[in-house]
Amino acid sequence: MPDRTAIQSLILESVQMLAEDFELEALKAPNPQTALYGGDGLLDSMALVNLIADIEEALAEKFDVSIALADEKAMSAKNSPYRNVASLTDAVIERMPT
Amino acid sequence: MKTIVITGTRKGIGKEMAEHYLAEGWQVVGCSRGEGSIDHAHYQHFALDVSDEDAVIAMARTIKASHGKVDALLNNAGIASMNHALLTPASTVNRILQTNVVGTFLFCREMSKLMRRTNNGRIINFTTVAHPLNLEGEAIYAASKAAVESLTRILARELAELKITVNAIGPTPIETDLIRGVPQEKMDALLARQALGRMGEVRDVINAVDFYLREESDFITGQVLYLGGIN
Repeated sequence: MPDRTAIQSLILESVQMLAEDFELEALKAPNPQTALYGGDGLLDSMALVNLIADIEEALAEKFDVSIALADEKAMSAKNSPYRNVASLTDAVIERMPT
Repeated sequence: MKTIVITGTRKGIGKEMAEHYLAEGWQVVGCSRGEGSIDHAHYQHFALDVSDEDAVIAMARTIKASHGKVDALLNNAGIASMNHALLTPASTVNRILQTNVVGTFLFCREMSKLMRRTNNGRIINFTTVAHPLNLEGEAIYAASKAAVESLTRILARELAELKITVNAIGPTPIETDLIRGVPQEKMDALLARQALGRMGEVRDVINAVDFYLREESDFITGQVLYLGGIN
């Protein structure tokens, strides 16, 4: 299974790709604390949907794992897993098959 | 070369549509529960149950690897079962809903992901005139297609930002396995309710699909088109 660094890199690459597609200058050089959704986050709901789909696709392609990031647990979480890159990384790790 | 995914291509309307779009120069990716029945250099077949989420996801990943993207989806696979409600077992209800509703949804979801970057995706779902006509004996089949129509209208809005149009076609009865076993007097009564009282043909369906697929149809979404003058 990939370690945290590998997963975080994959998420950072996905954010960069999305930033290009949606022309979001502030997200073109993301780091773990970069805000994504809600609060100071720059993504609207459609951009978030695209990002999640991109990350799920990349996880399948690179690591051959199939996970659903927008599951009921994520939707009802007190602290949204989509708020920044680090929280999204935690959410992916939590859902990786053991 | 454009790629079109068509579900239920082993026989009937699905097979004829696949052959039509192959002849028109598309790359066609089809599926059915069993092995494929089309042999063509630009045809790829997947044997799967359309309501099997893992299988549909795996199919989408294979298509992404081989074709890179999908331009259009025809959600043709469907099953019917004519019976009085008092005699319809829950197993039949579940089977019809799984194939017609869950299958349609899964293909819309997974193929939309492969259409996202084409900026011109097309999804065409299949409903039935049994729904607007409230046909007796078709309660579950019509209800499943009512769900498909609702899905079509809502996905049209959800996918609009991705420049994917989502529409539906409701054919009249066509000579296929789906209506085999329907008594002739029932069929005659149904045809009498159409403005144009003849059996439908596959060419009628293809004509409507062609209309939705045209590049110029990018301002048409969330629509349900019934054939034969039913509304």
